[in-house]
Amino acid sequence: MTMDAEMLGKALYAGAVCLVLLGLYGMVVPRNLMRIVLGLVLLESGVNLFLVAAGFRADAAAPILTAPFTAQAAGPLVDPVPQALVLTAIVIGVGVLALGLALVVRVKEAYGTLDTHAVANRMARETGADPAVTAAGARTPGALPVAAGRTAEDAP
Amino acid sequence: MTLTAHHVVLPVALPLLVAFLLPLVGRLSDGLARLLAQLTTLAVAVIALLLWPAASDGGALVSAMGGFAAPIGIVFYADKLALMFVVALAVGLLLFRPRREHDSTKVQTLWLLLLAGGSGLVLSGDLFNIFVFYEITAVATYGLGASAHTGAGYGASLRYLLLSALGSAFALLGIALVYAAAGTLNLADLSQLAGERLTGPMGLTAFVLMVLGFGVKAELFPVNTWVPEVYTAAPTRVTAVLAGVVSKLAMVVILRLLVLLFQDPAALGFLLLLGAIGVAAGELAAFRSRDLHRTFAYSSIAQLGLMAVAFSIPGHAGVLAGIAVALHHLVVKPAFFVLADRWRGEIAGLTGAGRTSPLAAGLFVLLSLSIIGIPPLPGFWAKLMLFKAAIDAGGAGNLTAVAIILAATVIEAAYLFRVVGILYGTAPAGRPPLRFTLGELAPGLLLGAVLIAATVSVAPLGDGLTAMAADSADAAAYASRVLPGGN
Repeated sequence: MTMDAEMLGKALYAGAVCLVLLGLYGMVVPRNLMRIVLGLVLLESGVNLFLVAAGFRADAAAPILTAPFTAQAAGPLVDPVPQALVLTAIVIGVGVLALGLALVVRVKEAYGTLDTHAVANRMARETGADPAVTAAGARTPGALPVAAGRTAEDAP
Repeated sequence: MTLTAHHVVLPVALPLLVAFLLPLVGRLSDGLARLLAQLTTLAVAVIALLLWPAASDGGALVSAMGGFAAPIGIVFYADKLALMFVVALAVGLLLFRPRREHDSTKVQTLWLLLLAGGSGLVLSGDLFNIFVFYEITAVATYGLGASAHTGAGYGASLRYLLLSALGSAFALLGIALVYAAAGTLNLADLSQLAGERLTGPMGLTAFVLMVLGFGVKAELFPVNTWVPEVYTAAPTRVTAVLAGVVSKLAMVVILRLLVLLFQDPAALGFLLLLGAIGVAAGELAAFRSRDLHRTFAYSSIAQLGLMAVAFSIPGHAGVLAGIAVALHHLVVKPAFFVLADRWRGEIAGLTGAGRTSPLAAGLFVLLSLSIIGIPPLPGFWAKLMLFKAAIDAGGAGNLTAVAIILAATVIEAAYLFRVVGILYGTAPAGRPPLRFTLGELAPGLLLGAVLIAATVSVAPLGDGLTAMAADSADAAAYASRVLPGGN
């Protein structure tokens, strides 16, 4: 029994480390934004598993109060704090994932590609050029947007 | 009206509540929603100011959520440092409030979430709670980063989100390590256990993971690659607030971690290294930039690097220097971005722009002189305090950092004076003059006035900051205020 419990604890940690490494690989190596987002999901799962494993005790019960409190003194409980933290982290992760996927859709709509290099090139072209260029479609050196509206008192 | 410790939650609770009401109010009237949001922001600033006297009397106001006392419950800890940054955030959000023509209700909602998250970040006294507020702040900034509705905005925001989420995962891993080692997440409780439980490789790993996580928003090397992209693609109002205030809030969290949990030479050395690399890389990249937005984005990375160097110096002298650099940058950088908003495009195309709007050019010169560190402007005093603290602390690392900062200052002066030279050059004929409207320039002028006021009142300001820094650097005082029964 104790041997199994020890093995289970180690397996949890090993699984967490594997998931984190897989997630890191998925975020660094692929060039497709969608795959990178999926790498993030794996990474977060790994971190969450690590947190749960930190509070794990094989010989303890789930930290749920089913009977009057005195009855609980009979046996140890699994630490509930990491579980509460992971619950919060999962909710945050889902929210961030949804927002990230929404942005992936917007990037695809704007540039028609999910390749990181292509997106970076398009972004550089868009922000490197001054607004007059994108408006006119042709590059006119020194062309700058004209100030609209009321001019400041500091104009000579 | 006197406020007690119970009101410490208001800077978080009030904007959070209004943020969720705002979309409903916005259906009735956009104007009403805007008014409500701005009144809420103003209220937060006023509440933080009203809490100030009480916080200075007792050192800090401590409020236990739901009446569960520390270390079991979650506490809010409002000392002068935290309240000052809450005020700075609220004022910054008011100063750069969304204008009428934007999809203002949505942006205002994110603006309030940013206020709630940012206030929580500096007020919370619980490690995991800080992580949650960090995520709220982060999610608000992802939305704001994309709020220009351009492809570049979406792309920059997505890349920022991916990096920041990666950082958050690291931070969470660090928090898990701290919890596994010490069995608590309360900062005060941890500060008493840190000496025996958080030392050695385990503690250092936890610190490195958390710095990499929180460092994303604090623009620390190497997790700052999002900075130039987002600051160029986001609306300038957003950039001004992110660079000016939000980055400092993350830095305050790192300061708290250092002071309370990791007064360990290896941890300090790690932050010193990151800070020094940030200063050197930031200024070099700023020198090579061809437009003002990028220049100021990279310069912002360098300034945050200065803060990291300052905080890595043990004792309150370093904390004082770091706070001084932070406050100075908080005033100067948003004003710079106000100018960059009109002066878009390549710097070379700005020839003679200073002659058509002398007030703006004058402001640029004033800000440049201060950020370079020309006496008697506040930037000089901030850098002087940093050098003094570093040299007093001694050691090869600190002295190398001083040398790097001096070299970086020369580079900084070179690129800023280059811009000044271009601004006052002769404009090529036949080009329409580039002018600011008074409304555009107003926030910048206001910040310039604050800078001049700070120059005049540098002595009392220095005294106040010294007291604040000494208090912030005192881990024992923090613990005894949060855990009155302990010790």
